[in-house]
Amino acid sequence: MKRIALPFLFALIVALPAVSLPGVAHAQRRSPLADAPAIRKRVELRDTRLEFGVGAGSTINQTFYHGVLVNGHLGFHFNDWLSVAGIGAFNVTSLSTGFHDELQSSLPPGAPEAKDFRAPSAGTANASMNKISAIFGGQLEVTPFAGKFAALGALFAHYDFYVFGGGVGVNLAAANSTSAPACTGTHSGDNDSGCTVTGLKVGGTFGAGFHTFFNNFLALNVELRDVMIKDNPSGRDVNGDRSSDNRDLTWTSHLMATIGLALYLPSTAGISP
Amino acid sequence: MKRSAVCLFVLIAIGMSGTQGFAAPAKAAKPAKEAAPDVDNAESTDAAGAAGGAAAVGDTVDALDLSDAKDKGSDEAAGAAAVKSSTTLSWQDIVVVPRKRFLKSGRFEFSPFTGISLNDILIRHYVFGLDLNYFFSNALWFGLQGTYYVKALTEREELIGLQYNRIPTLNRYLYGAYLNAGYAPIYGKFALFNKSILHWEIFASAGVGFTQTEIIPRIPGDATFKNQSITPDFAVGGRFFLFDSLTINYAFRDYLVLDKFENTNRPEKQSSADAKAAAEGKLVHNVMFYVGIGVYLPTKFQYKTPR
Repeated sequence: MKRIALPFLFALIVALPAVSLPGVAHAQRRSPLADAPAIRKRVELRDTRLEFGVGAGSTINQTFYHGVLVNGHLGFHFNDWLSVAGIGAFNVTSLSTGFHDELQSSLPPGAPEAKDFRAPSAGTANASMNKISAIFGGQLEVTPFAGKFAALGALFAHYDFYVFGGGVGVNLAAANSTSAPACTGTHSGDNDSGCTVTGLKVGGTFGAGFHTFFNNFLALNVELRDVMIKDNPSGRDVNGDRSSDNRDLTWTSHLMATIGLALYLPSTAGISP
Repeated sequence: MKRSAVCLFVLIAIGMSGTQGFAAPAKAAKPAKEAAPDVDNAESTDAAGAAGGAAAVGDTVDALDLSDAKDKGSDEAAGAAAVKSSTTLSWQDIVVVPRKRFLKSGRFEFSPFTGISLNDILIRHYVFGLDLNYFFSNALWFGLQGTYYVKALTEREELIGLQYNRIPTLNRYLYGAYLNAGYAPIYGKFALFNKSILHWEIFASAGVGFTQTEIIPRIPGDATFKNQSITPDFAVGGRFFLFDSLTINYAFRDYLVLDKFENTNRPEKQSSADAKAAAEGKLVHNVMFYVGIGVYLPTKFQYKTPR
């Protein structure tokens, strides 16, 4: 039995590749679409074009004051998915948040009572608060997603989705006309009075956005941006040492959403093979 | 010697059978090719013409194919021989207008999700939930949503005591149940670095339900009370279609909670019932962002229009 089985086993092992190889050849049927780009004759809406953008927006999730912003954007697209850009945003006006108003209504208008000695007056609390005045930065943008969409099956448009990251300089200013002295390195003021964090702060920015194209050179641009800088919007003690100074600065997130128009030059877009 | 001869015979026999198996479809394909012009004349001039002459044979097979669900099993099995026989048939991969990647009409969606609250700077909620939706069409659905919340106080909340000698009045969310309707008016696709195409949609949704909330007493030892708050909700979100039965979903949903908060002047050690009677009502926006997956049943769908 053993003598018969071994040769058969040997024959089977040798023969199996011969049987299976044609099957492999079957599986390797080559589609004419293999290695082809996902889209042919695609309108290259970004490739080697300049982008000018203007818009408006607002900070979101701020503690005390929202900034109403106008913003500008100048970028160059190296190809359809990579670009470099400079951005600027300027605070036009500020709106107090709901939290700010609630806090103000709970604080004493004048000097606090003895039992409430740790609470500042409403005016003192306001005096040390700050707001974003202006933002300048440079960023690298990657556009991995681009395509077309249909709205209600009737309106068709090109769009792209991009993410970005870079560095920023943020100018901070006192939120109110009556302001506490600027914060310095150490012991700017005790926690009864606070200090105002002002001046240029360097940090990072990142975010995402999308363009919806009206034609080959004009698009609607919506963007969500986070700006991270070392800040202390309240101007009061954070680290618990009972004094307000630059040691109370912590990395703080400033989210903002903007909407605007983007103009692409040259006005004609290339077509991919 | 005799043994070697047997081995050689077996080897050749198996090898031959393999070659025959490979060659067989080519013979079988010949009649199909011959029959192609008749089918072409009858039904598929439009599809074949549009796709170009090279696609003629491939499209004759495809133009009569009204179903894609059955095609994946039976089509592949039946058409395998023909496809294997000729590389020309692979032109059937090319269609002028590709179909929608995903059909939802008449299917259920089970969508577990998780998310985070966005708009409250004092208290953050993480949500774990499940959407159960039924699609009446590709764009319209009704569904039930259940949510469970986990709270986390923010750094800002902790600083209020230090900076202003104040304790904020806060409620936490416990769970919720909502009846929602949704509509997806925007459908699109994108190319990922021009290598692959992914389909997606954007939807709007609205509904009503209730949210169970509980106060966080300013004095930790004080009794708490819970509220069943009527909660209308509105959402904007989207789906990315990955497979026949799987999507990745995301949404921004605003829950308008008609909540009751601990009274600002609550006396110490007041009972739960009395505290609830004296509670202050307020409308609160709870804006959540969540992501999840959508699993669809039945797992397959059937196209109703020709390719």
